[in-house]
Amino acid sequence: MILELISIGLVISACLTIFLDEAVYSVLALTGTFLLTALLYALSGALFAAIFQFAMGVGTLAILFLSGEMLSKKPPKIPKERLLSLVAVGALLSLPMLFLSVSSPMNVFSDVQFEEALWRLRAGDVLLQGLVVLTVSVGIAIFLHEKKKGEE
Amino acid sequence: MDFVILSIVMLVIGIYGLLTKRDLLKVFVSVELIATAATLNFVMLTSAGNGLGQAFLVLAFATDTAVGALVLALLLIAYKKYGTSDIGEIMRIEQDKKEGEREV
Repeated sequence: MILELISIGLVISACLTIFLDEAVYSVLALTGTFLLTALLYALSGALFAAIFQFAMGVGTLAILFLSGEMLSKKPPKIPKERLLSLVAVGALLSLPMLFLSVSSPMNVFSDVQFEEALWRLRAGDVLLQGLVVLTVSVGIAIFLHEKKKGEE
Repeated sequence: MDFVILSIVMLVIGIYGLLTKRDLLKVFVSVELIATAATLNFVMLTSAGNGLGQAFLVLAFATDTAVGALVLALLLIAYKKYGTSDIGEIMRIEQDKKEGEREV
């Protein structure tokens, strides 16, 4: 029952994220989406996933919130009717997931531990991804530096 | 209760936002929603406690964060250059600029 409630909350907050006009409110709704996803993972037994989701969510939201504050004007109050209608749309959209089913659980790698999966099965991926992230961050730093140099 | 359908619903909401919203920050938020829908699938399809799904989730997060940093850098540069984060407005300014150059 609790998983169903969290899932409905997830769809509702996703709806609010997209349909609320002001960026700051949108980011606040995205906070709800991230927190509920982390809770869903934790309650399903995927504790590592929950911790990663939470940590990444906090970082992303802090930056997004600052950007939203910086780039948009002071947000007006949201009309109550609009908020209620968005919650109703979210609840309506979550109905298919409660009553329909398209898959059965696949336990192909059921005995694989997290450490084994990350460092033995996907070790190459981890290293390559580290390289990609490093390249992207260096690229952004150079890009911003060149831009600043061009302005001076 | 089916997590695949939950993931599909979130994906559809994210794609709708990506196609209809003109603000760059909202576009980025839509991309975040799509990424959340994808990672939800990774964990739930391999049965939640399984290590492989969680390992894929960690890898997906790394890419997601890198993409996020790139989009935010572009957003800040666009805002500094054009004074707005609206895609339509930016396109209009660029078009006006081009027409002005052609007239000269």
